[in-house]
Parts: sequence; structure tokens; C-alpha cells
Amino acid sequence: MNHFLPKKILKWAMQTRIGRSIFRVGLPESNLERSQAMVSSFLLHVQPAKVNRHSLKASYTLGLGLISLYLLLILVGTGTLLMFYYVPSTDRAYNVMKDLQFVISAGLVLRNMHRWAAHLMVLFVMLHMCRVFYTGAYKSPREFNWVIGVMLFLVTLGLSFTGYLLPWDQLAFWAITVGANIAAYAPIIGPKLQFLLLGGHTVGQEALTRFYALHVIVLPAVAFLGVSIHLFRVRKDGGLSRPEEVRSSVDRIALNELPTNKSYGLMELARGTTPQVGKNPDDEVFSWPHLIFREIILFLLVAVVLLFLSIFWNAPLEEFANAIHPPNPAKAPWYFLGLQELVSYSAFWGGVVVPGLLVGLLMLLPYIDRNRHGIGRWFARERIVANTLFTFCLIVAIVLTIIGSLFRGPNWSWQNPWKQQAVQTESH
Amino acid sequence: MHKDLTRKFYGWFTFLGLLVGTLIVLGYCKDEYREWKDYQHKYIQEEIKRAATPELKAVAERIPVEIRQIILPDLNRVDRCTSCHLAVEDPSYGGYPQPLAYHPHHAQHPFERFGCTVCHRGQGRATTQADAHGHVEHWDEPMLPLKYIQASCGKCHDNENNPGAPDLARGQQVFETAGCRGCHKLSGIGGVVGPELDKVGARRSPEWLKKHFLSPASVSPGSGMPPQKFGEQDLDAIILFMLSQTGETAPGYYASMKVIPSASLGKGLFQQKGCIGCHSVGGKGGVVGPALDDVGLRRTPEWIIKHFRDPQSVTPGSVMPRFGFSESEARALTEFLLHLREQKVELILPTLMSPIERGHEVFRKYGCAGCHGQDAKGGVPNPNAKTAQLVPDLIHVADGYTKAELKSRIQKGQREINSLDPKLPAPPLYMPAWGGTISDAEIDSLVEYLFSLKPKGEDVGF
Amino acid sequence: MNHSHQDPAVSRRNFFELTFGWCAAAFAVSATAAGALRFLVPNVLFEPSQQFKAGKPDDYLDGSVTFIEDQRVFIVRKGNTYRCISAVCTHLGCTVNRTEQGYHCPCHGSVFNNEGTRTAGPAPKALSWFLVSLSKDNRLVVDKNQRVTEEKYLVV
Repeated sequence: MNHFLPKKILKWAMQTRIGRSIFRVGLPESNLERSQAMVSSFLLHVQPAKVNRHSLKASYTLGLGLISLYLLLILVGTGTLLMFYYVPSTDRAYNVMKDLQFVISAGLVLRNMHRWAAHLMVLFVMLHMCRVFYTGAYKSPREFNWVIGVMLFLVTLGLSFTGYLLPWDQLAFWAITVGANIAAYAPIIGPKLQFLLLGGHTVGQEALTRFYALHVIVLPAVAFLGVSIHLFRVRKDGGLSRPEEVRSSVDRIALNELPTNKSYGLMELARGTTPQVGKNPDDEVFSWPHLIFREIILFLLVAVVLLFLSIFWNAPLEEFANAIHPPNPAKAPWYFLGLQELVSYSAFWGGVVVPGLLVGLLMLLPYIDRNRHGIGRWFARERIVANTLFTFCLIVAIVLTIIGSLFRGPNWSWQNPWKQQAVQTESH
Repeated sequence: MHKDLTRKFYGWFTFLGLLVGTLIVLGYCKDEYREWKDYQHKYIQEEIKRAATPELKAVAERIPVEIRQIILPDLNRVDRCTSCHLAVEDPSYGGYPQPLAYHPHHAQHPFERFGCTVCHRGQGRATTQADAHGHVEHWDEPMLPLKYIQASCGKCHDNENNPGAPDLARGQQVFETAGCRGCHKLSGIGGVVGPELDKVGARRSPEWLKKHFLSPASVSPGSGMPPQKFGEQDLDAIILFMLSQTGETAPGYYASMKVIPSASLGKGLFQQKGCIGCHSVGGKGGVVGPALDDVGLRRTPEWIIKHFRDPQSVTPGSVMPRFGFSESEARALTEFLLHLREQKVELILPTLMSPIERGHEVFRKYGCAGCHGQDAKGGVPNPNAKTAQLVPDLIHVADGYTKAELKSRIQKGQREINSLDPKLPAPPLYMPAWGGTISDAEIDSLVEYLFSLKPKGEDVGF
Repeated sequence: MNHSHQDPAVSRRNFFELTFGWCAAAFAVSATAAGALRFLVPNVLFEPSQQFKAGKPDDYLDGSVTFIEDQRVFIVRKGNTYRCISAVCTHLGCTVNRTEQGYHCPCHGSVFNNEGTRTAGPAPKALSWFLVSLSKDNRLVVDKNQRVTEEKYLVV
């Protein structure tokens, strides 16, 4: 008997006629109910009723994929609220940003949250991609999920880029001008692509309208579709990747444990030709509570960090966008700075060929990599070549980004960041 | 097993849940505390204290604590200054410490029509002192120091003939006499040695401008502009005039001449339309119509305006044509004629001046004095120039040139100035090509004027 | 339904933990919801203010009824008393016109007399009178948020 009063009330509520029509299972108290809670719930049923214990290890996944998802959800929430005030007009957008800071309750905090979550999401999506690579989790049978992941990465960059323009300040205007100019370097289609993207030849009202449409409906819809397929594929591919030892052989289960007068309303289909009823590997645990509880805690953790950042650090807002006064230098958003650095060496090779090759290689990676070993472990020895190559590319990318952000001054010339104090220039 | 997990979970769940809740409350409290609320409470307390009767006290107690703003759609501004400056319209707060002080002189420019930032600059949308006063990063228009406030008058009003902005008129005068136009273009007219000044008021602060006038090279490295020797008042006036050049045009209602009839616009129209062909002023002009010197004494403003609209309606049999003036033009001309009776106005009428007088006008108009000195007497430094490190004076130009040569010289200019020492940087000041800017007729008059500069009694030739 | 007996009676310590946990959760959720809701309530409006200045008392001639277009009111002056009546018909919101006898709505023919009382037509109520006061810099101030009876007027 539960002496816990709120829980008693909750249980009572869930057992009323109305309650039962909404919550078909209620708070689970048996293994059957735990399974049913997962399967019969709209929100939860993308996850399996049972998960492998190994997949729950924080040291394995670092929760990076989940964190990326939570950031996306927080972005959608804060973004929707911001939509109640924002107007995608070159006359009014900047004024709305000022109003958020000065006259709208919680305006500054919400905007900060949106901005920091956006930056963090790009970062965590990249980290998640690195994790998947280093654990070999893109190998068969998970090749296509990796491809979907790369596409989601591009969508994330697109969301961040389109959102970057919306404040319509100097930072926004010039970052997008630089980014659009890089796009124009693609051979043959480049200028047409830029024209389509901007709705014109320059960054103006048309660009703002298009970017807004992309940012609030098109790309989020694509992202949600992609994430749904991405998570579904995790199920279909047999759950998260695991090392061979963990793909446990079937243990013998005392037959008298199996209730014979029940037929489980649930059948779990794993790869194979027959249902594996009654062949429970010991490594599997019920999603409710093991997975669910961890997911909730992780969400709260992400919320705490994000709230903390948003309350104490303000997102930047520079002067009103002015086409006549480019800042010197005009820099792209941080995730494109490495690209901008490459472009400064050669527009075609640095801006089109290298990134194009990189993205192409990334997508084809699971099909190029024939090595079937090393799945499910960090930095597996068998994959030393692949790991080294990837790490090398990663380091180059990071170095280029650092150069682009710290070591480039006016006219993209080399500058020493330690000698460079903030120079107070009067005019812009 | 479940029990363990549940307990661990609930432990973290509680802790993090409380943390999230606390952070949200913290954020909310931080958000709710606003600077302007303090000032509003102070104001309300003051009003309650001053309330003479219980009814007034009740009214004071009901004053809401909220953001106050003035919306100016034509100016595309929203001014929230009155969220802190609550007593700007209340004379009884005269001399009170800011932000609750009274703002005098606002009858001509009611706050609900003009707001605050159109004159004072600053960041109207902000609600904290630092941000609103605008001396913050990423805001280009900080508040003007009060002594330069008249710079803003130039946005809607003419620089001259504005009784409310004598400093602005003085600034323009200093600009004209010092010959700044010789090197700097303003409103499209001037030399090209230095940068255009049309938006300098939007880009430069008063401090920078002051330093620039006193020692140009200290704020503009490599500048060839000679240090200016202005007196204190002239310096402030010219700084003010520069600050008024923002390139901002006043829209709609604010530019309407119905609000600002301008005598100087009227003067311009008077000269442009050739009224002097039939009417005389100061004894000069035509005799078909009456002399206009005292028309302001003889006729009412209403009569004069009607006359401009339709001369025959007030003077039957008049041969004065209907010029088709717009309402604002008619008002401006009326204002000018009324102005005439107050002082003798020097009309710049090319047909009435001698060629030398005209030439002097051209010399003044294009700022030649900026390089060639007041009255072309020279004395302006040009470091490393072969001509004794000075811009040459023009007193004896009649000796060295024929009129045709001088005209050609003015039209073509001289880009390369001979250096005294080839190892040092070239002289910064040079003669621009004025051919496209100064009209042919104007150059002819200018040549006449320059030739007249030679002191009488000197021998011809050198 | 087979209730398993895996959960024995909850201990007092567990009870506090559970209560605390769920309370914390409820607190976090409701704080978020409250914050989001407060965010959506505007603190400033960009419409013409309900309280506005109507010029100096001397701008209005004795015995005049002056229409102020963007605020949809009439300023009525008699001698040195000032009043302000709404020009919004109480039927369906059209703007009424001034006539010799009072006010007349062109949309559905409602007629109001000089006191604002409805004398004909489908309008259900009289026209509203608004509070008129004098500001510190000697201007008429109309507050459309404050309705007054027909007898109340400002004496200057």
C-alpha cells in the first residue's frame, strides 16, 4: 500500500473514467505495465520497451545526441514565444530586439536562451557526430542513419545561419553577406544559388523574409522529420551500437519463470526471422524507468546550464544594419569561420571544393569504410587509421576556426590577439 | 533494484528541479527590477507630498508605475525618456534634480509631437540611463552636450534666420568665412582635398571634432588640414554646425513649411524668380511694380499671402502674373517680405553686382579662403611645398597670368604640388579642378576679382 | 491486472523525497509556464494612447463642438466649461456625425441628442462622456479609460 498521498491521488485520477481514457496504462508498477507504458504512449513509443544496459552508459554516448535534441526542443519553445513579438521587416526587426531588452518582460532572458541554445546545438551536433565516428557506430547496419545524421547537421547549420540574420544588426547583416558570397563561389550554380537564397542581389528585405520563412517553418519541419527518422532508425537498426561482448548470447532462462497463461501483448522484433519472445538477454533493462529517468535528469541538466548562461550573459546586438559601413573585418558566424579562412586563400578551392569534398566524404563514409571491426568502443585499435585521419581533419578544422576568429584583423590580415586591445574607433 | 534507482533518480530530480525553478525565479526577479521603477516611485512620493487636497492626494496615489513612451511614426522613433523624466511638463519641478526636472522651452515643440531624441539624440527605446543616454557600445547617436543642442535645429529649420538657433547661424557663418568649402564638399559644393562633410555630424563626436579643428593631424593621421585658430565661441559654433550635418531629412509633417515658414527660403525664391525685374528693394530693381522695402508695414501677412496666390484678387488690374506658388512657397515669400522691414537685407542679386563684387561672392561661396587665406592674403601652411611651405597668396596673380590663363588654371587645378624636399612626403594641400563645379560665368567674375586684388599703384610685371 | 508486489510500503524518508521531488518538478514547470505567460503580456502598446492631449483650452471657440479624428471624440466647449463625448456609435461602432440637434450615425440611423442620449435608431446606449482634465502645462487632457456622467465638466 502506498502511503504517498500525491501518488495516491494521481493513481486515483488515472483510474477514473476520464483518466483511463487518456492514460491507458497509468503509472507502471509491473514489468508488463512498464513495457506497455512505452509502447502505448505517443511520445514514448519511438523508444523500445527495453534497452541494452550498455546503451545507458553516460561514458559511452555522453548523451550528446539527446542533448542536441533537447536543445532543439528548447529552441522551438523559445523561438515560438519570440515569434509573438518579432516582425521580419527591415524597419522593425531591430526595434523589436531593442524592445525585447528594454520593455518586454523576460524578453532578454528568452532571447539569450534562444541564442545560446543555438550556438550550443551546433556545437553538440558536431560533438555527437564525433562520438558516433569514434565509436564506429556508423558502420553496418547503421550506414544510412549516419547519412541522415549528416543531413541533420547541415539542417542545423542552415537553421543557425538563417536565424543569424533576423536581428538585422551589423553582426547579422555582414555575417550573412559574407556567407552568401561564399555560396556564390560554387561553379555555374553559385550566383544563381545566391540569387535564390537572397531573393535578390543584396541582403535586403527579400532576404530577411526568405530567411524567416526558412528559419521558422521550412527548416524546423525538415529537422523534425529528420530527427523522427533518425530515432526510428536507431530502433530499426537494433538500438545504439554496442561492442561485440555486449551483444550477448541468449542466456538460459528458467522456463518456470515464464508465465504460460499469459500472452504478452507486446512483441519485440529485432533483426532476425522469428520473434524472440522469452529470450531475454540479461543485459536488457526496461526503458521505464531506466532510460526515461536518465533522459529526464539530462533534460533538467541542460535546462539548468542554459538558464544559467541566459541569465548572466547577454547575446550580442550591434548597431542597426548599415550596408554602407562594413565592419573591418566582416566575419561569418563561428561555425563558418574556418570556411572563411579557407576562402581567404582561394575562393574556389577553399570555398567550394574543400567543403564540398568534406561533406561528400562525410556522407559516403560508412560506404567507404569497409573495416567491420571496432564498433561500440571508443578509439578502437582496429580503426587506428580511420581515427587518425578523422582526428587530423578535426584538428585542422579547429585550427582554421581559431585562426579565423582570433588571429584575423582588419582586411583579414594577421593580427596578434594578445597585443590587440579593443581599439575604440569613432567611426564605423 | 528499482527502489535504488528510484531513490537516486528522485534525489537528482528534486535537486535539479529545484535548481531550474530557482533559476527561473532568479531570472524573473532580475528582470522585474528595473531602474525606471525607482524613479517613478520617487516621483509618486513627491506628488503625494505636494498634494494640497485629499482628492489630489488620491489622484497622486493612483499614478501607475509603467513605461511611458512617445510614439512618433513619422520619425520612426519611440522615445521612452519620460519613463524616468516624469516631470518634463510640470513647471513646478523647475530646478529639481534630474531625472525629475522640468524641461523649459517646449511650447514650440510639444513632446507628444516631437519626442525627445530628435533634438537631444540618445537611444529613445532604451529604459536605463546608460543605454538611453547612448554613451554605450554599438549606439552611434549618443546624447548631445547641451551647449551643442542647436545642431539638431538644422534637421527641420534653415540654418540662418532662425531666432531660436543663433549658434547654428553663427556656425554656418564661421564655416563660410573660414573657407572650409575650398577643401570640403558640403551639399555637393566644394573642393575635393578633404572628405565630404554631409554626414560628419552622424559619424563624429563633439570631442573628436574639437580635437580635429585644433590639431587635425592628431586625430586624422596624415591629414593636410592646417590647425584652425578659432576663438572659443567660434570653435563651439563651428562644432555645432558640423554636428548639424547628419544627412537626416525630416519627413512629412516635420518638413512641412506650414510649420516652419522660412524667410531664407523666401529670399532664395525671391532671387530665383526674378521679382527684382519688376519690384525694387533698397533702390535697386524694376519700376513696373511698387518698391517692396516697407510692404511689411503697409500690408498684413494675410493680404500678402493672398496676393501671392492670386494677385488679381487683391489688386484688380495688376499685371503681376500668377506664379503658381505652393502654399509653403507663398508663406516663405511672405515671411521674407515681412522680414525685409526689420533689417536691410543684403540681396545677392547677380544682375545688380559689379563683376568684381560677383567674383568676391564666388570666392566666398567656394571657400577659396580655406587654402588661399582670408581675402586671398595667403598664410595657410602646406608642409614641404616649394612655395615657402605655404599655399600661395593670390594678391599678385594679375602679374603672373593673363585672364585666360588664370581661368584655365582654376578650371584644371593643379594636382601635383612641387616639393621642397623630395625625400619628405608630398605637400598635402593641392588645387582641385573646379571646372565642373564653378560655372563658366562664375569663373569669369572670379578672375575679375582676383585681378582686382593687386594693390593700386604697383608696377605691372615683376 | 496483475499488480506485482515489487514496491513495499514507502518509508517516511522515501515519502519526503518523493514529495519534494514532485513538488520541485511542479514548481519548475509552473515557473516556466508563468514566465512564458508573463512574457506574452505586453508592457507597452503601440496604438494611439487612450489618454491624450487635446490642445490648449483657447484653441476651442466658445460654443464649439470639435471633432478629433484620430481619437474619435468631440470636444464640447460652453463658456469656460469643457467636456468630451465619444464619437463611436454604441450600436456597431461607426463614427457619428455632428448635427444641429446632436449626433447622427450614418450607418444605421441612430440619433443622439446634445447630451448624448439616444433618441432614435438601433443604438442600445447613450454616447459615453470622458474625463477631461488640465495638464500641468495648461493643456486639455482626455482620458478615454475614465467614463463620467454627462454633468461632469472641466472648468478652466
